[in-house]
Amino acid sequence: MTNSMSNLVKILESFNPFVEEIDEKEIKITVSPDKVVAVLETLKANGYSHLSLMTCVDWIDDNQLELVYILFSWEDGGKFLVSTRIDRSNPKFVTVKELWPVARFYEREIHEFFGVEFEGNDDMKPLFLELWDERPPLRKDFDPRDYSRKKFPDREYEKDVIKEAKIFRGEING
Amino acid sequence: MKERTIWEQIADSFRSRSIWMLHYCTGCGAMELPPTMTARFDMERFGIAPMATPRQADILLITGYLNTKTLRRVIYTYEQMADPKYVIGFGSCTINGGIYFDSYSTINRLDYYIPVDVYIAGCMPRPEAILEAFNYLMEKIRKGEADGWKRYRENYDWYKQNQIRSLGEVYVHDEFHE
Repeated sequence: MTNSMSNLVKILESFNPFVEEIDEKEIKITVSPDKVVAVLETLKANGYSHLSLMTCVDWIDDNQLELVYILFSWEDGGKFLVSTRIDRSNPKFVTVKELWPVARFYEREIHEFFGVEFEGNDDMKPLFLELWDERPPLRKDFDPRDYSRKKFPDREYEKDVIKEAKIFRGEING
Repeated sequence: MKERTIWEQIADSFRSRSIWMLHYCTGCGAMELPPTMTARFDMERFGIAPMATPRQADILLITGYLNTKTLRRVIYTYEQMADPKYVIGFGSCTINGGIYFDSYSTINRLDYYIPVDVYIAGCMPRPEAILEAFNYLMEKIRKGEADGWKRYRENYDWYKQNQIRSLGEVYVHDEFHE
């Protein structure tokens, strides 16, 4: 942890975070959902102004979805991973599009692939999928193979066992 | 197969020597086309040239996997092309889905939706394989065997039904089509 990062962690202690040091320049802080926006605001005011990525992880056993914001600083090259866990059965969160306008698209994507509603972000048109008719596809209880089998028929191959055996014995070239 | 008249045979012979290709670069296979087109392998010596619009193209070269979103555009493109038209499925993903066989958004076989004249196996095929496939297609055109566009016309209902089964609706709803 560099000096400036440890100073920032000290500032963030009032939010009662769980701090994990992944790397010398990468720190993960886990906070409760109601404090995320305040933490992000603090980090943005202290140099971590670049939202590199916003993504989601499905923890199906805990019945939770984890939202992760990855912030990057152009001043010291450090990264902060701000993470929070929300309820999986009725996933709702607030938008951060006021802080980073680009978050609109990340939120659209997360809405599309994990089904999270972002309050305040009205534009929730699908970005990638067209006419999707199943549960959000990156949730762990969605079975892509089953869906593919149902929707996209496979080519049927006839297996020629005798020919394969001959190739195996080296009688003919495969 | 119906017997061709002498004029059709002559026409086919000329057709096979001047093929314009629309390469619909959907996947990583598109990477193999620059060396095929440019000086190293130079496909223009076979009379094959890249073409920008579907209405002037003869071959639709599908390079790589297709997901449901691109398949809609492919069907649009294919139906825009003027007869006679030929389709080459490039890479194992058009044959049986390749490594994306169990994906929720990629289709598993192309000839279920549009007729394919030649498949090139491999992940990915080398430029030599592409040229080999072009030569094979030219041979087929000369013999009058490359009749995918006729099959599409005759079995239109079957193809349409398959398209609707997998896509729900073929019509594209986006800012370019509405």
